[in-house]
Amino acid sequence: MSQPDAIQETFNRRGLFRIGGLTTASAIAIAACGKSEAGEIGNIGVGQDTPKLPDAVVNNGVQMRTLAGIELSIAAAYQRMVDDDMLAVSSTRFPATGDLTPLITQFGEHHIDSAAIFNDLAVAQDSEAWTCGNTRLDEAYIDVVFDRVVNGAAATDAAKAIQPSDDPTRDMLLLVHTLESLSAASCQGVVPQVSEAPLRAAAAMVGVASARQAALMALLLNPGGYVSEIDAENAQAVAATTTLVVQNTQNIATPSDDGAAGDNTAQGPPSTEILLPVAIPAQFGSLAPIVYVGGAGDENGVRLKLNFETPSLNSFAYPFDSCAAQG
Amino acid sequence: MKTESSERGADDASMGRRALLGVGVGAAAASLLPLLTAKSSASSSSDETTTTGASEPAAPTTTAPPRRPTDDDIALLGAAQQAELTARALYDTAIEAGDWSQTEQTVITTIREAHEASAQALAGMLGGEAPGETSQSLYSSMVGGFRGSVSARLESAYNLEAAIVATHHELLRELIGTDGATLIAAIQSAEARHGTVLADLNGQTVVSTLLVQDEAVALEVNP
Repeated sequence: MSQPDAIQETFNRRGLFRIGGLTTASAIAIAACGKSEAGEIGNIGVGQDTPKLPDAVVNNGVQMRTLAGIELSIAAAYQRMVDDDMLAVSSTRFPATGDLTPLITQFGEHHIDSAAIFNDLAVAQDSEAWTCGNTRLDEAYIDVVFDRVVNGAAATDAAKAIQPSDDPTRDMLLLVHTLESLSAASCQGVVPQVSEAPLRAAAAMVGVASARQAALMALLLNPGGYVSEIDAENAQAVAATTTLVVQNTQNIATPSDDGAAGDNTAQGPPSTEILLPVAIPAQFGSLAPIVYVGGAGDENGVRLKLNFETPSLNSFAYPFDSCAAQG
Repeated sequence: MKTESSERGADDASMGRRALLGVGVGAAAASLLPLLTAKSSASSSSDETTTTGASEPAAPTTTAPPRRPTDDDIALLGAAQQAELTARALYDTAIEAGDWSQTEQTVITTIREAHEASAQALAGMLGGEAPGETSQSLYSSMVGGFRGSVSARLESAYNLEAAIVATHHELLRELIGTDGATLIAAIQSAEARHGTVLADLNGQTVVSTLLVQDEAVALEVNP
């Protein structure tokens, strides 16, 4: 046999099949023998299985239940203001408003009625009615405001104590405006979240009423505050004249003399400015966070500042949530 | 001539080769299995569900509506744009009538601008389908109130705003696409405040009037 013939016999088709098959079989055998896991860790005693989280379904019923909770939280906040006579005392910041207890009571009735509407719609969607306040809104926002206004804050290792509010009526009236704006925005925001047109229309009409109540509150707190400054400037036929204030390194920290931060303490730093609301803040309904500023300032003059937001994943009333479980 | 032993040897060799080939094909199929499984689970997870969380996906609970306006939506949104353009024209008439105070002029101009912005937003959504013109019949039926005294003009504007909000409410009952419904809701929420402002500007102090609690009738844009 010549040498080329011997080479050809070694690398013929049969030989290639044989090599390929052997390689594959070896790989499978090695893989089967290999054991990457060391086995389960032994338990001492009997442990519980890993809990299975319930499905966080967000459907039309959940949206309606959530709005019902928002409305009931607002109504409960107003009731608390009325019960504690927090609106009967004249406000030093808003002395012209008088006692708004009857008006705020009327606002609260609107929100109770709205909650009933949303609960009826939720039941029609095969969901359970939500008959208590929204947990997230209560615990993270409304209770925090009441606590800061009524009790202040205790001293910590890093900060001095904060006194109770110097003007609780002011803070409550601002909270009413904030909550009315929140109701309006929440009802507007749910429109693209639900799949049925009648649900959208019902939510929007509740939002319309809340928006009007927010506008009325804005006019009571800020008479003549119809539109935002930017819109007012844009509405002028001629360019508005402005007074140039020369600012340098000597007066850069000087507070503006607009009277908005007028209730500063005599010796302390100026407190956070409380912006006055306007009746028509924008050309379209806004879903941006609604800023609330209130309470007494801390040692640096910084007041409580919260961003109230429309419902989202951490504030929905899911099917596995219930008012009974909230306690 | 083949002997028996040589035939057996040939059979053994043939069986071994077949077995090896079979093992190879089987291994190839086994290696493809995870890929196919992954594809299968990917396609099942693309189903429309409204479930969040790490547990097993729940069955779909809602049928998602379309985002873009349907053919019926386009007609409704076109009527809404005509209503907004008509409101702008009515406010133009009121402004031309004059005698406004500085504050009144600012508020009326701002509201007029808001209606124009709403019409423009609707035009942006509808594109070439947008009517882009006022409703002459609606304008003619309401323009008289926008030429009278300042107080009468403010009252007419108040009634117009209440009617526009009611019109948008009717639209929201019927709109299918979420884009159109979202825009109308944003317009309605802002325009709801106009009535309260106009009532206050006109010296009204009755709460039910300030809150526009009397139900208004929707506008007929194209009777």
